[in-house]
Amino acid sequence: MARRGGLGGFWNEERKLSLQVFLSNKPAVVGLVIVLIYIADALIVQFAPWLLGLKNPYALTPNYINPIPQPPSWKYPLGTTYPGVNLLTAIIKAIRVDLGLSVAVVLPGAGLGIVIGIIATYIGGWVDDLLMRITDIFFSVPYLVLAIAVGYVLGRDITSMIIALIIVWWPLYARYTRSVTLQVRELTFIEAARAAGASNAKIMFRHILPNALPPVLVQMSMDLGTVMLVISALAFIGFLPVSNFPELGYLTTLGLNYINTAPWTILFPGIVIVIFAVSVYLLGMGLMDVINPRRRSSL
Amino acid sequence: MSKEESIVKIRDLRLSYYTRRGVYHALNGVDLDIMRGEVLGVAGESGCGKSTLGLTIMGLLPRNAAIENGEVMVDGFDVVRPLREYFRRSKGKFKPTKNDDVLKKLHKAMMNIRGVKVSMVFQEPMTTLNPVMPVGYQIAEVLLQHNVSLLAKRRLARAKATREDMKAILGYLRGNDMASMMDYIKSRRLEGIEDQVMAYWRRRDLHDLVKEIRILSLCCDAVNPMLRPGLSYAARTNRLPSAPVLRQLVRHELVKEGYRKAAEYLGLLGMPEPEKVVKMYPHELSGGMRQRVVIATAMINNPELVILDEPTSALDVTIQAQILDLLKDLKQETKAAYMFISHDLSLLYQVSDRIAIMYAGKVVEVGPKDSVFKEPKHPYTQMLLEAVPTLEPHELKGIRGEVPDLRNPPKGCMFHPRCPFAMPICREKEPPTVDVGSGHKVACWLYAGGGEKK
Amino acid sequence: MIIAGRHLKEYFPVKGVRGAYVRAVDDVSIDVHEGEIVGLVGESGSGKSTLGRLLVRLLDPTAGDVLFNIPDSELREYDDALERNDKQMVKKISSKYSILRLKGSRLKMFRREVGIVFQDPYSSLDPRMSIADIIAEPMIETGLYKRAEALERAEELLEEVQLPRDFAYRYPHELSGGQRQRVAIARGIATNPKFVVLDEPTSALDVSVQAEILVLLRELREKHNMAMLFITHNISVVSYMADRIYVMYAGKLLEYGPKTQVIRSPRHPYTQALISAVPEVGREMRRVVLKGDVPNLVMPPAGCRFHPRCPVAVAECGWDSGEVSEAINRLIEARYAELSGKLSVKPKGPLALEVRGISAQQLKQIVDAESESTKALKAIYSIKDAGDHVEVSLAAPREPRLVPVGPGHAAACILLEGKEGK
Repeated sequence: MARRGGLGGFWNEERKLSLQVFLSNKPAVVGLVIVLIYIADALIVQFAPWLLGLKNPYALTPNYINPIPQPPSWKYPLGTTYPGVNLLTAIIKAIRVDLGLSVAVVLPGAGLGIVIGIIATYIGGWVDDLLMRITDIFFSVPYLVLAIAVGYVLGRDITSMIIALIIVWWPLYARYTRSVTLQVRELTFIEAARAAGASNAKIMFRHILPNALPPVLVQMSMDLGTVMLVISALAFIGFLPVSNFPELGYLTTLGLNYINTAPWTILFPGIVIVIFAVSVYLLGMGLMDVINPRRRSSL
Repeated sequence: MSKEESIVKIRDLRLSYYTRRGVYHALNGVDLDIMRGEVLGVAGESGCGKSTLGLTIMGLLPRNAAIENGEVMVDGFDVVRPLREYFRRSKGKFKPTKNDDVLKKLHKAMMNIRGVKVSMVFQEPMTTLNPVMPVGYQIAEVLLQHNVSLLAKRRLARAKATREDMKAILGYLRGNDMASMMDYIKSRRLEGIEDQVMAYWRRRDLHDLVKEIRILSLCCDAVNPMLRPGLSYAARTNRLPSAPVLRQLVRHELVKEGYRKAAEYLGLLGMPEPEKVVKMYPHELSGGMRQRVVIATAMINNPELVILDEPTSALDVTIQAQILDLLKDLKQETKAAYMFISHDLSLLYQVSDRIAIMYAGKVVEVGPKDSVFKEPKHPYTQMLLEAVPTLEPHELKGIRGEVPDLRNPPKGCMFHPRCPFAMPICREKEPPTVDVGSGHKVACWLYAGGGEKK
Repeated sequence: MIIAGRHLKEYFPVKGVRGAYVRAVDDVSIDVHEGEIVGLVGESGSGKSTLGRLLVRLLDPTAGDVLFNIPDSELREYDDALERNDKQMVKKISSKYSILRLKGSRLKMFRREVGIVFQDPYSSLDPRMSIADIIAEPMIETGLYKRAEALERAEELLEEVQLPRDFAYRYPHELSGGQRQRVAIARGIATNPKFVVLDEPTSALDVSVQAEILVLLRELREKHNMAMLFITHNISVVSYMADRIYVMYAGKLLEYGPKTQVIRSPRHPYTQALISAVPEVGREMRRVVLKGDVPNLVMPPAGCRFHPRCPVAVAECGWDSGEVSEAINRLIEARYAELSGKLSVKPKGPLALEVRGISAQQLKQIVDAESESTKALKAIYSIKDAGDHVEVSLAAPREPRLVPVGPGHAAACILLEGKEGK
């Protein structure tokens, strides 16, 4: 099919405009850059740890000869934490783990939520009511408490933590998908499609979904940060049983006994978590601008 | 200065919107006068700049609107001067944020113009009314902004007037002797009572006897003695007293007075049961009633110019007829000028004295109603009139082509790409505006001798 | 008859209130002949768009039937059967022509035969589909063509609605309002339907564009002999487009007839007011200004739904005790201040009032003096003294029927029914 502009048409006017809108939101660009740095870190540790000279990329390397935390120095730019772990390399390793865990929670959680949200609107009636009441139940319990409870039932390991968080997370997406879908369903072109003889399934997947998904995807990007915060919090309170596991929340617990004499042991991992959470949020706000027609037209 | 013939004088106004998609040249050299007491109809298709023109007169521009040239004199005050000066200073590096600062200063400078000399009614009444306030409060607030002294005087006069005073005033009214009534009011120092008396006297839906009873009951409405000095201060200075508690008390009293005035005014506008309506919230009113309230808010300070931006387009035909009737009455009773913006030519024929036709940010034809409608000169006006369907059907002709893209408008006359009479010169030079007699002006080369000169 | 709606009702339940319905369409019958343009006029909330959707089965009616492509003789039989209340016959004909029970492939066949064009060209096109896909959709979905053929035909249709062929691979946001509406029309006629509903297709457009679209629609009608239902609030537009006109108000059909009859000599007071309220260039209006607003459709006025605003209303138009008591209260407030505060009015049942603080004689005088300006008072049938209060009873309301007032011209107003109703 001869599309206008051919292959070079990827950067058509609309796409260029989207980029322009995004770039004009300076905080979002900063957020994007930081998120990209985190992603690069994770990819390098996963596939090319030798680039950073990491010998043992998937676990912490303790040094029991000198376990007391050392302040930042040339040798240890961010200092060390108990038991003699180099904080810089530990954080570099931990970013891979935390990012991986967040994605492992958000993708299936969102996927499940979106499917359930769609089923609820598509079938409607009592199915809709039932599914939404279930999400209500999930909403009524604080997610951290719920995650702990589910994790306790499933056992204390990484897989059970991921499953616990997915179980806690999907209702959010189910709700959000449902509300956006309902909005789109009210637009006239849906009625037009029905008048054209399109079946319900076709209307759902060809008309409603493509128009309803972008805001849900933006929500997903923003959630990466929240999920990372929650994972660290769970690790911090001892949800992760594995020792020497490079995880940011776990890193902060290592220095807990030295908080008065060696505050950097907690400060640095904590800052890394917060920066990520803030960055994805800013990035999400930028993406929100891109899909907001109002922001597209004004200067 | 206020003795001038025109209330608004626009000269070579050029305005552009700076957007991500480019610079939209929204107004391209508008020349227009609005005379005192006239109804000027402004017609044109969507995107021709008619609403922008109204907003410019009000000084209500968005921050990405750049005034590139021209002046808009509202009763001698150049509304766009600071914006124009900013644009000159920016030398091609126009920044909406900086323009916004200029606009904020302009808002302050226009406090004594907007709402007092000029006010505006928008198409969608729901967007102008605050959904969480009773409509009476919203009208009262407009009054409190500019007319504190009137409200205070009204309140004090009601406290001071005795039954004998009211009987005397009623006597003058019956004798239709307004001058003596005013003299009497002045000598008794009852200024402010006439506003209330006349509001009842001019009501049409009330029986004479009812009017008289209501007027007689305007007396002996005692004021809390603690408030009296505050109210007198407000009456003298047109400002609320500054002592914090007294200020709140006086304000409260004046808001109540504002409700009263709002009800009187809505009654004059033919609203049934105005005393109940002022206590209602906008969502409790129907579309037609809401638009009436919006018109009341715009008119209550007796502005010299009211800009009506498609005031009836969101309403049904029968409700539109009600609003048109109301405007006709208002026109007779007040000396205000009206700028009636609409895309509906047949509607403008009903309400206007003069008509201005706009196309692509320019006034292409302006003149007395009959002259423009019966002998349209500009090809655009002619074609526009042929496109209007009528009850007795006639052959309809649309205008081929699209409104020009104002990011890169065509050279010469903006209409030439769609004009069946386009000549070579039309593609080259902008046509001058020529007078074809009795104030009927048209910007077209057909009448500027462009054909021969070429 | 290409489409015939019979006694159609559409009640939408009010969310959260059990038993409350918005009576958007209430017992309306409508006929559209082959190749004819029928104009459906009404203000907002008159139910005209709902009726249009019922006829192409975008909505299922609460009651009534829609018959498609029915020979006139059988339609007559059907109407007779309805009149006789011959349920078997009705069922027999209905099973042959009704669109309400169509399912699966037969419903798709029906969808192929009808089309619809919506008012707002901005929300009626899916922003994520190309123009070609939008136009092709009805052809593919009703199984008329395979995708490749449908896309090819879409380009032809673009030409038919006077748009360049290369628009096919653009997206809706790249088009102006008028161009979008042409695309929507192309989609509406893509399957070469016999009947198209046009729901205010030009009210969002400028007059110059509107004129072009109207001319285009008439050309399309000439070319394909399509029947059209043209829904609009603009009588001038209908006067250009339609062969026959239906006038709706608050869910009811008030008048229908040939265009020239309805526009030149409207018989229903509402139609008269509506036509007088149309502004025109070169003609100063002598409008009949209607008071008040379109009624609420959850609890519509009894009798004739237009009676609270009607300038010529009479006793039996449908006044109830609530309306009359409110009218008396208002009247006292505005014109008989000496009685205000003393007099109290209480509705006693739908057609009776209890008035205190006034003698029967006095009340009679007031009613006689004011019944021209306050129409509700006309409903007062008797005023009797009953000890300490006055009993007022009202005339029973009558539901107006559509009465023929000319060839193919009928109006629903009891003033036209003459004596036969009494």
